[in-house]
Amino acid sequence: MAIEIRNRLGLADVKSDFRHIAGRKIENIHNELLELEAKGELKVIHITDEHKPIEAETLFGWKKKIPTTKLWHHKSCGQCGNIPGYPVSLLWFMNKFGTEYVDERNQTSCTAWNYHGSATSNPVGLAAVAVRNWHRSYELGLFPLIHCATSFGDYKEMRNLLVENKELRDEVRRIMHKIGRELVIPEEIVHYSEWVHVMRFEIAKLRKYDLSNIITTVHPACHCYKMIPEDCIYDKDIYAGKRTAVSTGVALALGAQVADYSTWYDCCGFGFRHILTEREASRSFVMDRKIRPMVREANSDVCITQDTGCTTTLDKNQWIGKAMGYTEQVPVMADVMFAALVCGADVYKIVQLQWHTTDWRPLCEKIGIDWKKSEEEYNAYLEKLRAGEKPENLYEYA
Amino acid sequence: MEYDENGVSIVSNDFKKEIFEEAKKDFRYEEYVRGCLNCGVCTGGCPPHRFFDFSPRMVLQNCKSNDPALVWGMMDEYVWACFQCFTCAMICPFLNNPGGVIAILREISVRRGFESAKKVLKPYSRVLLKLTAYGNQLSPDMIQPDFFPDWGPHIGYASEDLPLKRKAIPMPTLQVTNLAWDVAPEAMKELYTIFEEAGVFKIIEVVDPSLYEIIQDIVDDVRSE
Repeated sequence: MAIEIRNRLGLADVKSDFRHIAGRKIENIHNELLELEAKGELKVIHITDEHKPIEAETLFGWKKKIPTTKLWHHKSCGQCGNIPGYPVSLLWFMNKFGTEYVDERNQTSCTAWNYHGSATSNPVGLAAVAVRNWHRSYELGLFPLIHCATSFGDYKEMRNLLVENKELRDEVRRIMHKIGRELVIPEEIVHYSEWVHVMRFEIAKLRKYDLSNIITTVHPACHCYKMIPEDCIYDKDIYAGKRTAVSTGVALALGAQVADYSTWYDCCGFGFRHILTEREASRSFVMDRKIRPMVREANSDVCITQDTGCTTTLDKNQWIGKAMGYTEQVPVMADVMFAALVCGADVYKIVQLQWHTTDWRPLCEKIGIDWKKSEEEYNAYLEKLRAGEKPENLYEYA
Repeated sequence: MEYDENGVSIVSNDFKKEIFEEAKKDFRYEEYVRGCLNCGVCTGGCPPHRFFDFSPRMVLQNCKSNDPALVWGMMDEYVWACFQCFTCAMICPFLNNPGGVIAILREISVRRGFESAKKVLKPYSRVLLKLTAYGNQLSPDMIQPDFFPDWGPHIGYASEDLPLKRKAIPMPTLQVTNLAWDVAPEAMKELYTIFEEAGVFKIIEVVDPSLYEIIQDIVDDVRSE
């Protein structure tokens, strides 16, 4: 099927099934995926009308369906362990919209730390873990929504490797049979930030504060848009379609200013192993290549992220910079946390900014949010919990 | 193990050839190593290149040279400088993937139990333990001021009254302190089978035998529950 591809520079319109780059055709992997399903090689977790999908355009102009309901939350280790307001903000929005979802214990990490950090895994192990988690959502009749960019990048890569390699499929299928599961692959690998992106205009309807004087700078996650880049959302109205649109899109929809800075394309300095054992590299990168340009060039009020490792690295490494004369500071939070904050979610109970290291209070004050009241209420809530009251949860869990 | 003046371990030419052949046999290798213009755009955009003696252009050029000695020269410290951000892969005009090549070389280094890999991975024992034995790796109780003094005084917030603060997170799956989320035992058991069948446990046994024993004890406990 011919797919119209709009030239990003506006020079020409072409029709093509695929793009040629350096003699290699970048095919839309979905066609092969459906062919394998037709042959009975695997099952596909389809996005149906039940998921109320919204279409977005990817790098080459291909369409990507983003399911907006009947979702299975696939967790992020770092978000759950270190930035709890990240998934809580997402679920808070889903409750507002009446989204059908399941957040459950029956899932493992993608284990891609063992891929990019320690190399103590291999493609069979990584692909089998991916399929195991996909199959769990499949058996519940839900579509997997990936919270972590590392999982997102890893799962996109594993999907491609599985589609392209029969030997890998056979090996993973053998392992799945051992654990009573089947070889399933989702029609799309969908990151939570893509859900936020396609829901951005609905989210903006909930806005409680005027953001016209708030300057945001966006840090896009490498494993979102640099790994399998053809599968990432672009929009001709955002950066003229030349940069990924997610996160920037929701900030703009909320009425904030999005400022450019010279090191937009740089990573955060996380480095997987560097953030733990070569921290001088991570912190130097944070201050020299991200925070200082964001503040000096853009006068940023807040850095908006779309991933776990980036949020941690950029937030935690600013304090130590003072020892070397780096006085620039900017609060860091994910797109969905920023959106929740300005849509009236509680600073402490929902957005949970109290876990963040770099001071976010000046941002709240500039927006007009009474964080002190929120702090008092949260402390009172903690005392109630200490006295034995049951926690107020976003959902019931059996 | 002896090392040359560049800190690279000294091994026979046959062994270097064996390692290079192992890399080339990886089914991802051909996808990652294509024609290289030597344009250097990968290195120009490479984040760790700004802080380390590391160049994705050299990674590609060494592979393209077909000289096992040049590839061997990257196997010790060199491959561990990469941030795995894949900036190189995205901007390469020929769709090479130096970051992917690095992943292949690291996996060989770990699988073979090279001393350099053991040294690099030693500080990750706790992360490896959590991830392999329990199914996720960053637990709230790992964020301690002693471990992260450079993250500032506020980091202590995360270690004071932690169980109460975790209970106040309105997601039941997160109301634990020793794991990022409370992984169900059935999920952990399935993960163990995957790790056994895919050879992941074997890799850990090679690179850290003591850690492997601890993990196996936990695996046995969970399986017997």
